[in-house]
Amino acid sequence: MANYLAQFQTIKGSCDRLVIAVEDVCDLWPTVKSSFEEHQPLKRALLNNKTRNSVFVESLPVEFILTTDARLRSRFPQEQSLFWFREPYATVVLVTCEDLDEFKNILKPRLKLIVQNDEREWFIVFVSRAHPSNDSATKSVKKVYAKLEVEFSSKKRERCCKLDIHGPEANFWEDLEIKITECIKNTLDRRVQFYEDEIRKLSEQRFMPIWNFCNFFILKESLAFIFEMAHLHEDALREYDELELCYLETINAPGKQREFGGLDNGDDRAALLNPGNKQLTQIVQDDSFREFEFRQYLFACQSKLLFKLNRPFEVASRGYSFVISFAKALTLHENVLPFCMREVWVITACLSLIYATASHHHDGAVAPDIEKEFYRVQGDLYSLSRVKFMRLGYLIGYGADIERSPLNSACLSMLPWPKPAVWPSLPANASSVVLEKEKVILQETSRTKHFGIQRKPLPLEPSVLLRVANRRRASLSAGNLPEMFDGRSSIVDGSGLEASPRKLSPVKLQANAMTRTNSSPGNIDSPLDRPMRLAEIFVAAEHALRHTISDLDLSKSLSSTQDFEKKYLDLTKGAAENYHRSWWKRHGVVLDGEIAAVCFKHGNYDLAAKSYEKVCALYAGEGWQDLLADFLPNLAECQKILSDQAGYLSSCVRLLSLDKSLFTLKERQAFQSEVVSLAHSEMKNPVPLDVSSLITFSGNPGPPLQLCDGDPGTLSVTVWSGFPDDITLDSLSLTLVATNNTDEGGQALKSSAATVLKPGKNAITFALPPQKPGSYVLGVLTGQIGHLRFRSHSFSKGGPVESDDFMSYEKPTRPILKISNPRPLVDLAAAISSAFLINEAQWIGIIVRPIDYSLKGAALHIDTGPGLKIEDSYGIEMERYPDEDYHVKTSKDEANAKGSTVSLEKDCELLNLSSGKIVFPEWASDVNSILWVPVRALGEELARGSSSVNPLKQDVLEGMRTIALKLEFGVCHNQIFERTIAVHFTDPFHVTTRVANKCNDGTLVLQVMLQSLVKANLIVNDAWLDLQDGFVHTGQSDGRPTSNFFPLVVSPGSRAGLLFSICSRKNVSTEGEELQQPDSILNIKYGVDGDRAAGAHRPVDVDRSATDTESLELVFRSAIVLQRPVLDPCLAVGFLPLPSDGLRVGQLITMKWRVERLKDLEGSEAMEHKDEVLYEVNANSDNWMIAGRKRGHVLLSREQGSRIVISILCVPLVAGYVRPPHLGLPNIDESHVSCNPPGPHLVCVLPPVLSSSFCVPIK
Amino acid sequence: MIVCVAVVGHQNNPLYIQSFTEADDALKLHHIVHCSLDVIDERVNNPKKSGTTLNEAFLGLLYPTVNYKVYGYLTNTKVKFILVTTDLDVRDTDVRSFFRRFHAAYVDAVSNPFHVPGKKITSRTFAETVRDIVRSYVLN
Repeated sequence: MANYLAQFQTIKGSCDRLVIAVEDVCDLWPTVKSSFEEHQPLKRALLNNKTRNSVFVESLPVEFILTTDARLRSRFPQEQSLFWFREPYATVVLVTCEDLDEFKNILKPRLKLIVQNDEREWFIVFVSRAHPSNDSATKSVKKVYAKLEVEFSSKKRERCCKLDIHGPEANFWEDLEIKITECIKNTLDRRVQFYEDEIRKLSEQRFMPIWNFCNFFILKESLAFIFEMAHLHEDALREYDELELCYLETINAPGKQREFGGLDNGDDRAALLNPGNKQLTQIVQDDSFREFEFRQYLFACQSKLLFKLNRPFEVASRGYSFVISFAKALTLHENVLPFCMREVWVITACLSLIYATASHHHDGAVAPDIEKEFYRVQGDLYSLSRVKFMRLGYLIGYGADIERSPLNSACLSMLPWPKPAVWPSLPANASSVVLEKEKVILQETSRTKHFGIQRKPLPLEPSVLLRVANRRRASLSAGNLPEMFDGRSSIVDGSGLEASPRKLSPVKLQANAMTRTNSSPGNIDSPLDRPMRLAEIFVAAEHALRHTISDLDLSKSLSSTQDFEKKYLDLTKGAAENYHRSWWKRHGVVLDGEIAAVCFKHGNYDLAAKSYEKVCALYAGEGWQDLLADFLPNLAECQKILSDQAGYLSSCVRLLSLDKSLFTLKERQAFQSEVVSLAHSEMKNPVPLDVSSLITFSGNPGPPLQLCDGDPGTLSVTVWSGFPDDITLDSLSLTLVATNNTDEGGQALKSSAATVLKPGKNAITFALPPQKPGSYVLGVLTGQIGHLRFRSHSFSKGGPVESDDFMSYEKPTRPILKISNPRPLVDLAAAISSAFLINEAQWIGIIVRPIDYSLKGAALHIDTGPGLKIEDSYGIEMERYPDEDYHVKTSKDEANAKGSTVSLEKDCELLNLSSGKIVFPEWASDVNSILWVPVRALGEELARGSSSVNPLKQDVLEGMRTIALKLEFGVCHNQIFERTIAVHFTDPFHVTTRVANKCNDGTLVLQVMLQSLVKANLIVNDAWLDLQDGFVHTGQSDGRPTSNFFPLVVSPGSRAGLLFSICSRKNVSTEGEELQQPDSILNIKYGVDGDRAAGAHRPVDVDRSATDTESLELVFRSAIVLQRPVLDPCLAVGFLPLPSDGLRVGQLITMKWRVERLKDLEGSEAMEHKDEVLYEVNANSDNWMIAGRKRGHVLLSREQGSRIVISILCVPLVAGYVRPPHLGLPNIDESHVSCNPPGPHLVCVLPPVLSSSFCVPIK
Repeated sequence: MIVCVAVVGHQNNPLYIQSFTEADDALKLHHIVHCSLDVIDERVNNPKKSGTTLNEAFLGLLYPTVNYKVYGYLTNTKVKFILVTTDLDVRDTDVRSFFRRFHAAYVDAVSNPFHVPGKKITSRTFAETVRDIVRSYVLN
């Protein structure tokens, strides 16, 4: 069967559509042909796939061929079964007949004959040529067609359809299509069944010696082709997949050693998308095919189907795996293949896959994730070809143009060298080329990175090429290594390409000398005899490659450095772009870095910087510092060249903030010096620099600094510097951010002077102006180095900068500063509320209570109000104020250390008032203290006594004095507390007098009662009475009580009485020279025994000389009024008795007074209206409501004995004993009026009568 | 031969990376590990595609390259373990058992109260354990 292979291929090539045979019985085909062909491809073909599931084929092209056509005739039956796919799938029998007899006699037998072959799927198309207007013809045609249907159609299957040439035909074509489809379906099923049976039969023989893969292939591919023709591409693809699996099993089966293939010219160009690349007959080997070609053929067939299925993604992904696995196969056969055949093949395969799939791929045609995957595979293909291309480039000496990046190193250094059977040898007459290559190698210098960073370059080679190449040469055994190294060391010296420092020969210098001579043209004539040098290896490889590569494009791109670079860049860009469109962003960005390296080399710094930035951002973002350290210097260099100062500075800062182990101290110092020098140079546009990663700061550990509202303070902050050396900051400031108010920008604290930051931890102190209440966290640290403003947002958490921690930007929650809400910080109060002695120097106590706040250095302004002055000559005493808390505290203290009490005792100090203020001593900062201020209240008025008739009416305000206090405290005296305290001053006694007894001889016993008004014992030492005119002391006494009673001690609040015996004297007024004394004066000599902590006390000035008893004595003078008795009454006023039933609240009552003239009033009081008197009714308005005239004149005749009654209506308002209204006669001196009753009296007022009607029950 | 093992944090930051090559080429292994995160990300973000594989921590082969293989392992806390080996015929079961032991070592290391989660693992004991595991794996 294998012999049919060629024929099979030809037939397969010529068949492209399903064939429908047309049996033209009545010569109708020419008439209907065009319309038949117009109605294909079939639009809705429902076919069965291999698993007998219905598949909807949207467009199925068919070809109508007459059975008489040469193409369908003269085929051998064997051929027919083998190439069944080209046999008709249906037979259309075209008939027409208008006569029933003709049908019966001629047409029917003929049709029976045609359709008797069961193998064929057939149906009859009856063409009616009858014109619709011709009724009879139509009728007979109908009859014939009915007969035809009866004859050929069965219940199971409708095999007839009718085409009216002149009539409407819409239904016909649908009918026809259904019928054709049905036929095709049946035929297809049968044929597939047949092939499957055949294939199964063959498969059963698989492990028998007679088994032939070619036969199996023909059957399998025929089946695949049948499916493909029927547009069942999925099934076709499955057949090919099975075929591939089967093939791979065949070749992997142990046993026969087969030829691999791939030795033909042009085989290096991958043909994995071109099934017709080679005739299958060419690649037949024994009973199978050569692997190299056949696998590519199979893949090509698969990819063709996949493209038809519109699945370019699958082509790419299958292609990638295919390339990988095929490359493995190529590796296995590397020793028979041309030099680097594998690399070349992979490159071309990848590129062709990329181009083919990319041209079939349309964005948006597939699901987004498939699309991403597609681009990923494209990227993979690009990068695979890129790796292989780099390898080729390296082999021919372009290694220096390949960046020794981690990516390239990872790709190349783990990729083994090609292992040809024999390493290519140097072609003849290559000496000049070798020399040139050597020159190039010698000229190459390893580029040192910016900042003088020196790193060992990453390897691009899996092992030393020199050794590998020489070992594989036929003429050399692996043993003579020393010889090889002699030849090698010259290259090691100059190029740095062979990075293997361990093997650096100790005899390098000698070797140099040797190789110099070696490299002279005369000595390379016979390279076979000695190990090849690197340049020679390159030249030899290039020569060999030129033979291997048939692809013009590829060979051109390897022909010169420029072309190499261009292709390299193309591939890198392709890979990067595709990766960027896929999920694999990291791959894309890393490749950008490779592009950047090339751009950099060509001076395209702008692009290079952009790409490097992306790479650095990627590595920095995820904290891959080792990789970042490799790229960041490159970026910095670009930025420097582009004079992008901001970028350059930030790169330097980033370099500095990388892990310290990544750079040497020297390198780090170089970074710093760059920063500093740039900062101090003239910057065109000074830019802020973020040094968050380099300079971090934190508050001191422990609780936050607590300040009261309005207080300034100092804030100590720890700043970590990541600079390797000391760095001078011209200024430094720090913002604080209130936690409760994020809108407002923080307030900046400035550190005044230039600061030098040491590497590591530094403590910086900031002066803190008063802040608003709230808690604050650290905000931003800003500063200036030269012209450079920098800022740092980074908070270290109490430890040194951990550079691996890229999450350190989160805000610290710990507040650094707490400003409490305004609260009372101190309290000033008067210590004593009881009264002091007026007109004496008294100690006023002012209690100063700090409320959790230090009063260090506080100053108290004392401003006394009117009537008060400070006796500043005595100084102000300050002492500890022992309150309850204090006692508890001290008792505790005492338990701890007894000595502490001593210091407490000392807490008493004399302070001086200077310009109205005193400054608190140190000890008083935190304890309650009391200030004793000596003051004197000035009271001009003489104290007046009162008679017992008119009770004491004290005016509280009279003795009140105020002291305005203003305390300035806090760190800068910023806190001010103001308070005005009131102090009460009073006379020591209140004096009341009454006449205790009135003797017949006119002697009056005057009782003087002294009521103590102060909280101190008053010691009365002496008392005398200076009487007013009209009174004299009885006897010869000087008006002093018996001295035996003195001293008399009057306790606080108690009363004492003195009795004086006086009588009135009328005739004293004759002594004209004597001064008229209106009032009597009571003089009391007294002393005070009181504690200043309780109230009145010994006056300050007295206090000084406490021993002198004389000076202890004070004199109190009080005026008392003595009233002469009414001796010659002219008028008598009598209060008429009230009704007997008493007074009631709210009850109207008439008060009556009778006024009677006792004698005519004489004397100087000249009265214009002598026959009338002026009266006035006085009543306490709280107690009485008075109706009527309160004041007025009433007629009273001048005759003695004339009388009148004055009555007035009153309503008592309160119940109880109250003073009734009083009738006075203002015009007449009191001494002429006799009253009855003579003094004030009380009347009883009853409560109002209960009125039950107003009672409301209360629940 | 295992050339590199790495622990990568859930924010794709390296927590521990150790190469076992003689040459001074750790950087390329850093690169390989870093790029393999692309694959892990892709698998984690497209559970549809990876199907059942996400039910277990072992992610299997990440990179089917010609020259080396990269295997991944994802813990419950989204910490990734990555293994780079140059052995081309590796059995999955071996890698699985390797990762299981490695995971145990990692858990021990991060259970140290002085270890800050999310920070690099600096434990010397961990490094030694890892070295032992790698060595035993090579011997197998």
